[in-house]
Amino acid sequence: MKVIAAAGVSPLGRGWHLASAAATPSMETPLAATHPGIAALACDDRAIGDAVPVRARKTMSRGALLAATAMADLTRALPAGALRDAGCFVGVGASAGAMNDLHAMLGAAIVDGEWSLARFGGPGLAACNPLLAFQLMNNFTMCHAAIQEGIGGPSGALFSRGAGTIAALAAARRSVEDGDCAIAIAGGADSALHPVTWAELVRDGHAVVPGEGCGLIAIADDDRFPALATLGAIATVPLDGEGELAAAIGAAMGAGAEEIVIAVGADANAVRGMVATHAPAARIHDLGLGEALAATPALAWLAALDRIRLGARRVVALTIGVDGDLGVVTLEAP
Amino acid sequence: MTAVITGVGVVSAFGVGRERFFVGLRGGDHSIRPIEWFDASKFPVRVAGEVPLAVAPVTASRDRKVGFALAAASEAWRQAGCGDAERDAPLVIALGLEQAFLDDFAPIAPRGVIDWAAEPAATLPAMRFRSPVDTAARAVRRALGLRGPTTINVSACAAGALAIAEAASLVARGARVVLCGGADSMVNPLGIGGMARLGAPSPRAEADACRPFDRDRDGLAIGEGAAMFIVEDLASARARGARPLAAITGWGATQDAYRATAPRPDGSAAAAAIARALARAGLAPEAIGYVNAHGTGTPLNDPAECLALATVFGAHVAKLPVSSIKGAIGHLMAAAGAIELAACVLALTESLLPGTAHLRHRDPACDVDVIGPSPRRAYVEHTLSNSFGFGGQNASVILRRMP
Repeated sequence: MKVIAAAGVSPLGRGWHLASAAATPSMETPLAATHPGIAALACDDRAIGDAVPVRARKTMSRGALLAATAMADLTRALPAGALRDAGCFVGVGASAGAMNDLHAMLGAAIVDGEWSLARFGGPGLAACNPLLAFQLMNNFTMCHAAIQEGIGGPSGALFSRGAGTIAALAAARRSVEDGDCAIAIAGGADSALHPVTWAELVRDGHAVVPGEGCGLIAIADDDRFPALATLGAIATVPLDGEGELAAAIGAAMGAGAEEIVIAVGADANAVRGMVATHAPAARIHDLGLGEALAATPALAWLAALDRIRLGARRVVALTIGVDGDLGVVTLEAP
Repeated sequence: MTAVITGVGVVSAFGVGRERFFVGLRGGDHSIRPIEWFDASKFPVRVAGEVPLAVAPVTASRDRKVGFALAAASEAWRQAGCGDAERDAPLVIALGLEQAFLDDFAPIAPRGVIDWAAEPAATLPAMRFRSPVDTAARAVRRALGLRGPTTINVSACAAGALAIAEAASLVARGARVVLCGGADSMVNPLGIGGMARLGAPSPRAEADACRPFDRDRDGLAIGEGAAMFIVEDLASARARGARPLAAITGWGATQDAYRATAPRPDGSAAAAAIARALARAGLAPEAIGYVNAHGTGTPLNDPAECLALATVFGAHVAKLPVSSIKGAIGHLMAAAGAIELAACVLALTESLLPGTAHLRHRDPACDVDVIGPSPRRAYVEHTLSNSFGFGGQNASVILRRMP
């Protein structure tokens, strides 16, 4: 199975050459409006540019906007019409409606500081965007992009706080192997910069730098397409403790790796140490794009692909999301 | 490898347990009622296929689908006779979106604009502001002691069918046992309100709010519940003494790639999903003896689905029984494809095709053999279940009768 195209949008901009650049957390991000003083890694709105019509954006979550942007670039990287029957499997994050809609509903439903269910059911609902439900439905992160680019094959939107994005890649590979489609897209899109998402991450004790982005790859088992890399192992390991983590990393490194891209959120140093123990000869790269939730594994794949572009023969993308599960994806030079 | 269903668990507006569900379908009952879980009297939509509060499973979570998933998964697990030897089973579950609780915001938004500094995030109560999507999956995994990987499909109304298809695919690739299905509830203020704002539900607060394929249909009825299945390899099931109820022989999926707000009117992408399912099952269209339609009762969905059926089945469509159970129990959203596959299990195991509640005058634009409100006796070898999601995701699943 080959990786035949890649696209991404991240705090580094649009594109998938993520391995040799570094992003710097900033206090001047969309999160600053509600949570000043939080350093974050945000995608520059100028990078999104005109990839998505302004009219379409009102029904889009931030993750959907990033996915549609990356999908537009992926489409351009493939022959015309190649994606019409393609599969599309994307790890997507939590519901995240627009804050102005939330405030409109709250403003209409709260009287003298008291919540009124009756007012919410009447003027509260009337105050919000009629298409609010489409902002909230998790699968619309993928569907907007599929509609925009005319992708008509099998699909799956898989909830992800890390492992779900690995599952999306596994589903994409199965769909090609089973003959359901000649090309399948896999990836993840999400943003940790939504105020509600960020508040919940803090509440749950995740000491991470919030990030966002979308990574997409197209895979095929077809000699008509030149390969960026060969897709090797795809594995998810549910973890319950640090001991298991060390063992799982050891197993993941069992087949050897020349280079390793890790994206592991808060415990990067501990994981780096475990990886170094099991693969002492390997070069280790931190992705360094913050915690982009469902997008993080897919951005790590892009960085691994870029290492192969720069000459590596075998690169492992090792990710641990806020769900705590280990994801391992191996890419090899074609 | 043949993937077979050996366990079924159901929670629906008919009550808790698959037998309650089957009793309701056998009797041609319906259960769209005024919402009781919250005061919906000032809402534009006031009825739903709500799981009766007196019997609804209760958990510590405000997210009702957690209890539905637990009850259905446990019932399926028990019926299949699963135990310690099956705890490595993967879990593939379709779940609806987070349940958000806007009243949580009120203390920090006295004038409607949230003051995030008013309550430090680190001290927020555990369920504020929304229940994470994976809450139900984690609860099921914990309750049954599962150790395998978890996949959570959130493909809206197609998610349940896609989850079952994935389970069958995993069995075809060597997995011995998979727990799969779906659970959802949008019977909460934001869920009901958001759908009402879209204009998808019928505005009528009547028991017959949802009338699939009827010329007077005016929208769906929101439902809630869960259906979970044990899917396993036939040889493995027989070896451990589990009774196969039906085989999952075909599945197919496509995307409309049309519009966010409407299905593709010619049904062509839906037809392609059905055709893929037939091809995978190795069946000619004439082999299908019953279709459990997506049949939402919305003006746009039903005729598009009938066009899809006509495209695939040709002349056979005139004598192909079709029904939708959404008029009886409502639209279970992420769990719709799962509970409707449970209805297909009934069709195969009892030779009873569920009816279409509240059908009085079939819409001429829905030119198929729609079963009326009462179920129909018929022996069928193969059933087809369709699920078409908001956003344009389509999935079809074929079951085969077990000898």
